[in-house]
Amino acid sequence: MRCLLIFLCSSILSFSAWADYQLTPKKIAENTWLLEGSTENFNFENGGNIVNAAFIVTDTGVVVIDTGPSLAYGKALRAAIATVTDKPVIQVLLTHHHPDHVLGNQAFADVPIAALAGSKQLLQEQGNHMAENMYRVVGDWMRGTEVLLPSQLVEAGVLTIGGHPLQLLSLTGHTGADLVILDQRTGVLFAGDLVFYQRALATPNTPGLAAWLADIDTLEKLPWTLIVPGHGPLASDAQPFVQMRDYLTWLDSALREAAQTGMDMNQVLRLPIPERFAQVSLTRYELIRTVSHLYPLYEKQQWQRLDQD
Amino acid sequence: MNTRIIYALALTLTSCWAHAVEGDPQPSVMWEYFHQRLLDNADFVFDEAVKVSVPPFAEDARQVPIEVDARALPGKVERVMIWAELNPIPQVLTLYPSAELEKFLAVRIRVEQATPIRAALLMDDGIWHVGSARVEAAGGGCSAPSVVRAQEGWEDHLGEIFGARFKAGDNSRLRLSVSHPMDNGLVDSIPEFYVNQAELRDRSGAVLARIDLFSAVSENPTLTLGIKGHPETQLWLRDNNGNEFTADIP
Repeated sequence: MRCLLIFLCSSILSFSAWADYQLTPKKIAENTWLLEGSTENFNFENGGNIVNAAFIVTDTGVVVIDTGPSLAYGKALRAAIATVTDKPVIQVLLTHHHPDHVLGNQAFADVPIAALAGSKQLLQEQGNHMAENMYRVVGDWMRGTEVLLPSQLVEAGVLTIGGHPLQLLSLTGHTGADLVILDQRTGVLFAGDLVFYQRALATPNTPGLAAWLADIDTLEKLPWTLIVPGHGPLASDAQPFVQMRDYLTWLDSALREAAQTGMDMNQVLRLPIPERFAQVSLTRYELIRTVSHLYPLYEKQQWQRLDQD
Repeated sequence: MNTRIIYALALTLTSCWAHAVEGDPQPSVMWEYFHQRLLDNADFVFDEAVKVSVPPFAEDARQVPIEVDARALPGKVERVMIWAELNPIPQVLTLYPSAELEKFLAVRIRVEQATPIRAALLMDDGIWHVGSARVEAAGGGCSAPSVVRAQEGWEDHLGEIFGARFKAGDNSRLRLSVSHPMDNGLVDSIPEFYVNQAELRDRSGAVLARIDLFSAVSENPTLTLGIKGHPETQLWLRDNNGNEFTADIP
């Protein structure tokens, strides 16, 4: 009897655990599909589906861009692909090493998974720690998820797959190793997390906001027709670039001025956020994180060596 | 049977004893313990005039910024104690300020888990005025490998002091950071090695503030102090291995 109860309970639990991500691919251009995540933070309800993944159905097979936050997401993504094409998945491209973009890799273990060399190294160094944290913040959605490193490295250049010439750019602003993909056939720009739109940008591995601003300039000059941000809604105008530049510039000057006036961290994370960013989600949350990541660098610029040696 | 009753009784008693105290803005089973151990069971009041600020969550559990602002509290401060209630190394610092100091300080600490943070100011009325805050944390800040020690040649930079004095109206804010691993003895069999004494002195050498530091303080300790006027000062530090470091703050 007890066994039966345990069996029933566990089967109910495991059933609800796979409460699925309800991924519905949206066609955004010729052969090109988007799975848009929410602009919330990770939580137990969204299972980490706060990210944009995409795929291109080329003549020879499907190219997947980012695999999502969990094994379950990766599986759901693969199932969603199967609802729009019979063609096999033949290539995965990872934009960068952050957990919400790569922890679905296991569902694509039979496919070449490519990333920049820097992304592979960062995932090797930080992956397990990031995955552990994901278990903490989204819970059972992560069941069975483990870090699977990329099996292939890519560099800047053009990679043509099934009639789609994909221009690959190797940039640094968000994590130090950020892959951007411009499909020269459709003009769709898969910007990865170099572009957050209507969602505050995250800075855990950025080499600095100046490098990020330079990358935004590089991206804007490309011959794109459609921007797929790493987080936030699709755009056919330059608005995501405008917002990123505005936000990065504000953040940079706010941190610099705070350091110049001798503020400690708690004062900085209480700073007012300009009204014009009101529609951008999670600004306060990300400011708190950014102060931890970057403020020490701004402080150092204002300090002198004082010891007598 | 009897044993069971005794167990039950013991459990009830312990749980009563471990109850959070009434009026505590950050109810914690450890309050009584620290009231006894650190404040010597002396009179205290939870006082909103002692504002303790921390981020709502620790993005980096090895560097959690704490700010204590009691400028709204009248009277003279005899002593300030800061601790992180659920830390393996709870005590952060004890400050003995002179009248030249403002009732403002900031420091960065390590936390091992989500915890209430307390700042208690012993005022000249003999009462501890206690401010509280709580920081969420995934944890591991106290047992994480040292960032300093991972850097090649860190020994060459030991004791380098960086900082500046910033004008804040009639007063000044001193911001100071010293290169030191602040080993707390909880990581990789590395014994305790941390700065445990500090003094802020005026140009004549008179002590403006004495601080006892504990190894809950982060690596490369960062300290912010408020001081009246715009004086030039000196900082003196000593670690538990006897190394002394000094700096002039113009």
